[in-house]
Amino acid sequence: MTTTHRPARHSASHPSGGAPAAESRMIGVLGQFDDPAALVAAAEQAHQAGYRRLDAYSPFPVHGIDAALGIRRSRLPFFVLLIGTCGCFFGLFMQWYANAASSSPIFPGYAFIISGKPFWSIPANIPVTFEVIVLSSAFATFFGMLFLNRLPRLANPLHRIARFRRASNDRFFLVIDQDDPHFDRSRTENELLAWGSTGVEPVLQDLTDNQLPSWMKAAAVLLGLFLLLPPVLIYRAHYATNGQPRLHVIPDMDDQYRYKPQALGPNWLVNRLPQYFFVDERVMREPLLGTVARGELRNDSEYFLGIKSAPAGSALRATPNQPEQTEIVSGPRAATVQDPAAIQETAGNQEPAANQEPAANQAGAAAAGQVPAEPEPDWVTEFPSRLTIDEALMRRGRDRFQIYCTACHGYAGDGDGLVNQRAMELAVSNVIEKGTTANATWTQVKSLHDPAVTVQPIGRIFDTISHGRGTMGPYGRQIPTADRWAIVLYVKALQATRAGEPKPEPPVTEGNNPPNGQGG
Amino acid sequence: MATIVHDQRDNTYEDPTHRAPLVLGGLNYGGITDTVAGVVETRKPPFAWYVAFGISLALLAMLGALIVHLFMKGVGVWGNSNPTFWGWPIVNFVFWVGIGHAGTLISAILFLFRQNWRTGINRAAEAMTIFAVICAGMFPGIHIGRIWVFYWLFPIPTEHLAMWPQFRSPLLWDVFAVSTYFTVSLLFWYMGLLPDLATLRDRATGKWRKMIYGIFSLGWSGSARAWHRYEIAYMILAALSTPLVLSVHTIVSFDFAVSQLPGWHTTIFPPYFVAGAIFSGFAMVVTLLVPARELFGLKNLITVRHLENMNKIIMATGLMVGTAYAIEFFIAYYGQVEVEQFAFLNRARGHFAWAYWIMITCNVLIPQLFWFKFFRTNVWLMVVICICVNIGMWFERFVICVTSLNRDFLPSSWGYFHPTWVDIGMLVGSFGLFGTLFLLFCRFLPAVAIAEVKLVAPTEAH
Amino acid sequence: MHHKREARITSSVISLGDDAQRMIPVAFSVGLVGLGAAAALSIFTGYGGLVRFSYAYLLNFCFFASISLGALFFVTVQHLTRAGWSVTVRRIAEILAMTIIPMLLLALPLVIPVLLGWSGLYPWNAADWTARYSGHVLASVEKYKAYYLDNAFFSVRTLIYFAIWSGMAWFFYRNSLRQDQTGDPSLTLKMQKFAAPLMIVFAGTLVFASFDWEMSLEPMWFSTMFPVYFFAGCVLGGVATTLLIGLLLQRSGRVTDEITTDNFQDLGKLIFAFIVFWGYVAFSQFMLIWYANIPEETFYFGYRFDNTGYRWLSVILLFGHIFIPFLLLMPRTLKRNRRFMLGAALYMLTMHWLDHFWIVMPQYGFDGKHVAQFPFPLVEIVCLVGFSGLFVGFFCWIAADRPLVPLKDPRMSEALNYTNL
Repeated sequence: MTTTHRPARHSASHPSGGAPAAESRMIGVLGQFDDPAALVAAAEQAHQAGYRRLDAYSPFPVHGIDAALGIRRSRLPFFVLLIGTCGCFFGLFMQWYANAASSSPIFPGYAFIISGKPFWSIPANIPVTFEVIVLSSAFATFFGMLFLNRLPRLANPLHRIARFRRASNDRFFLVIDQDDPHFDRSRTENELLAWGSTGVEPVLQDLTDNQLPSWMKAAAVLLGLFLLLPPVLIYRAHYATNGQPRLHVIPDMDDQYRYKPQALGPNWLVNRLPQYFFVDERVMREPLLGTVARGELRNDSEYFLGIKSAPAGSALRATPNQPEQTEIVSGPRAATVQDPAAIQETAGNQEPAANQEPAANQAGAAAAGQVPAEPEPDWVTEFPSRLTIDEALMRRGRDRFQIYCTACHGYAGDGDGLVNQRAMELAVSNVIEKGTTANATWTQVKSLHDPAVTVQPIGRIFDTISHGRGTMGPYGRQIPTADRWAIVLYVKALQATRAGEPKPEPPVTEGNNPPNGQGG
Repeated sequence: MATIVHDQRDNTYEDPTHRAPLVLGGLNYGGITDTVAGVVETRKPPFAWYVAFGISLALLAMLGALIVHLFMKGVGVWGNSNPTFWGWPIVNFVFWVGIGHAGTLISAILFLFRQNWRTGINRAAEAMTIFAVICAGMFPGIHIGRIWVFYWLFPIPTEHLAMWPQFRSPLLWDVFAVSTYFTVSLLFWYMGLLPDLATLRDRATGKWRKMIYGIFSLGWSGSARAWHRYEIAYMILAALSTPLVLSVHTIVSFDFAVSQLPGWHTTIFPPYFVAGAIFSGFAMVVTLLVPARELFGLKNLITVRHLENMNKIIMATGLMVGTAYAIEFFIAYYGQVEVEQFAFLNRARGHFAWAYWIMITCNVLIPQLFWFKFFRTNVWLMVVICICVNIGMWFERFVICVTSLNRDFLPSSWGYFHPTWVDIGMLVGSFGLFGTLFLLFCRFLPAVAIAEVKLVAPTEAH
Repeated sequence: MHHKREARITSSVISLGDDAQRMIPVAFSVGLVGLGAAAALSIFTGYGGLVRFSYAYLLNFCFFASISLGALFFVTVQHLTRAGWSVTVRRIAEILAMTIIPMLLLALPLVIPVLLGWSGLYPWNAADWTARYSGHVLASVEKYKAYYLDNAFFSVRTLIYFAIWSGMAWFFYRNSLRQDQTGDPSLTLKMQKFAAPLMIVFAGTLVFASFDWEMSLEPMWFSTMFPVYFFAGCVLGGVATTLLIGLLLQRSGRVTDEITTDNFQDLGKLIFAFIVFWGYVAFSQFMLIWYANIPEETFYFGYRFDNTGYRWLSVILLFGHIFIPFLLLMPRTLKRNRRFMLGAALYMLTMHWLDHFWIVMPQYGFDGKHVAQFPFPLVEIVCLVGFSGLFVGFFCWIAADRPLVPLKDPRMSEALNYTNL
């Protein structure tokens, strides 16, 4: 720039104009320099002269100015390191919480296995942890810099000085604060000129308009209130009930171009015309007679039914395709409880009742003498040949038994499972407290060591598990065939433990008998 | 040597005794400000700007229409189909993310290496980075099918969903990497802009400009204390961005390389992808800056030397990519894994051999022209070469994505990938988005870092 | 204000001088005695015999070769980028790079047995080497790999690598020394011009050297990342040694004025950068193999982690090679502290040695499934002492009376005058 400023004082150049001198306060003196070297030299001299509250302004970082002004190295890096370290732990915690914490109290997820990796897979968590570290550190750097520099600061007295506009272009300024103990206006101004300043000027703070305009305050209040609206609405929506169906912005596969298997055909739906895909008006054909689903062919009656040879037609009850026909009938054979003593009695009475075979659902009818009992099928007495009887099967049987059977039958098969205990308690208390027998029916679960059970052929036990007996529900749908046989094996083993015992077992202390879990 | 008199317009000479000037035309501090701020302050940008903006806007509108079409019809409108479920959208994503690597590389890594010539190009390159990452992020965003539950990608605590993202999946790493990269690049870019916005604020004449630049410059005054912290913060951000920029394309490469698919699973992918990203990113910077410096009269600040240096980097990274191709082939032989050998031979000789050879030609052969100074310094020829590089890099991702998926382990599911018109339209449209943003940037923000260029301006010019 | 320093050598001592002449015989004796002791230890006292010694020898050979190669890369890249900051430390790196020439002699004990068909070190040199993997190998592997893993081809390749590297080192060193005499800037231009093609040649040879020397120790395993991993270690070793030698020279009162604190800080930064880079490469290689879980690749890590000793070594590398130096080398003040950086350089070299140990030694006694046991590394350490002696001897022999800093480099002023932020 060719313009050379004549070294002179410009005390009256106030760009904003109109502000009377009485309403402004001088906060310092500014000296202008034309190149960075002059600025650094002047800053050094000012520092040597004893000024401490001063700052330099330049369009780009001038190297050497830090030392000249005695600026100490910023603490920003430590701050960033701190936040970055926190970010590291947060990133790891987040991933652990989301994928590896199985039962978290708030916002729970669930742990699931993916591609055989452990729930808590450190190598797979490194990338996200790294990104979180970088993100948090970058925020710390940027906002830390702004914070330390006290930015944003939209009102600055310096920006009201016309010549200072070139501080972001091609001029360099040194500003010495008025509250510097060494400050004396005329002397400071002269010193600045002596150090090579090409223009000196006081920095005035305008006192008239350092208040926020009143409309801005009102606007801020309004804006604040407005911003409160969304949370209030959300809160209301969270607690208020609403009869309207929820907003359906995007259908999200709710309506689809397909038909439910048993629905009417499309023509009827769309055109109301009596034309269908198929004559039976369905959208789907029924399978051919005799169709067997893949893997569902069950032609081995010993294995699948526990019957030596499938009786033609007569044993339909035991056909695997119709297990749902087996009903749970509780009425006629249910114990009707009058008092605690009667419970014992009823339980005792059931044993002979249980001897009345065949199956439970026919027992009621049999008792009424309406329908003759069906002939007993020819139950198998040996395990089917396709099973391998070994320790693994036994373990499997114990495992399955403890999952499915112990709730009612108890761990030892005595018919004292927790469900039974609780149900009996309820039945008793109901009678005692309310004096009524309504809802107070419960059938004492059968002990597997009951002689009536121990004599049963294994096919019969298998059938009981598959299709239920009496109040016991069918488990054929839940437990695969092989597992049912495993349970049978285990039941036989359990029964064998009591074989030859003349008396019932002596009472066992709880410590010795943990599986019973009676301690509650 | 000292007797050589250098032409002021040509700063591409080699003279170890002193550094060639990076600012030409005898510009002093004020001149630099005038040159850059003039682009923003002019009432009427050049006619070519309007033409380019119109074209970009039209393409952007097409992209918008196609996205609406996609949402209405579903992702079936794309050519993605069994077995190639990762088709063009992912290719475009990787392509754009790769482009987005040059900016932060220039601002961060070249800063740490004290490469002063970065000052002339870093601002535009950073802006380009941000816009490219926007284009990139769009593709996986619209690819998820049910766009309205896009927030499932983020670990947002919800009670009703009772689910968290799957942090062992590289796709989720991608979400974190790309969004972190975008955020940090934005911060870095904005921090670099602060002093320049202050310059525009101080020069502004209109009320609105004064206000907007005033607010966005946050009251920057250029105090020495502020500069001190600013420089430290800039250095820390650079130090953070350097591993970050490597991590982003590394993680993109993990998307492929953690799988067991032949052609995808190879351990060199991380550095090879990063090199490729820098390669394509620099090519894009050159492609954009050559017309920009012509159009806005920035030739004194973005000099031929800047461009030449970038071309050298393009050549170096191109060779790295070529080396990685060679190592992959060698290990396919050396490892003696049948499927791997098939995958690589299939690339070179199979259905998509044409794509493979386009890739080799554009990425490995054509950049070798940069060995000659004539090609390194001729601005329009270098644009042609750089466009070739970008075509080659797009095809590289295409080859990786599609050939491996087309011919996976199960020959009964082998297929051929056909892009649909929507695929093609979206790729073209994404250039519209990119171009629109970049042209707006050139018009309203300083395209060259004013304060930083002053740092490297020769002081005797003042 | 800045006081720009003149580009003039002001240190009183800038060469090794007579000390070098005194050092050379001592160093070579230590070297030969060390190598002899290591050989004797392994052969005569039941420490694993000749096979063990050959592994220890390879480990130390790779370690020192990697230092030379790292220094050679450093020199090349400085010219490639027209660097000014590094001028004052470039001569040390040039001399280090020159040690690759006598290193050829040390390569002969590796190459000649291979050429003679000995398979104690490289299993692929035996006929039917795939037998040890007991069946889980594709049938054709041995046949096809034999084209590359062939003893004659291997030897020729190693000779080619050395020829190329020696030529490169010689080229840079000779021109740099010539510039000391003439001060001709065109020599700098010449080196710059050749740096680019030489870098390509360097990269190509380094890739295959890493395959040949270290990766083929486990001939069934392959990783495309391996050359990058090897390269990261090379640069780390080369720069750390340059820094170490610079600091030791200043401690002995040499080149005290020329190598500035900022030079050291920058070398420290480079070490820091390559610690991160090494960690990045090592992690990527491991993570990709761990994640994909393909048996052809995982077994390499598998038997390293199965063995207690190597598992601990892996943990030591994870923390000692990445996390600890990452934190320690981060603060600016520590990087500017010479005493600290001396320790840091030695520490990083130790870690670099352990890294090669991790690559090489598990192959010793590997039977196709398991590592025999973690060897108590006495032979390796004695061998390291021997190699160090030879290496110091080479360095002194090459440096001799020559200046340890370029005298008339046109960019000297830059290296002397910049300050780190």
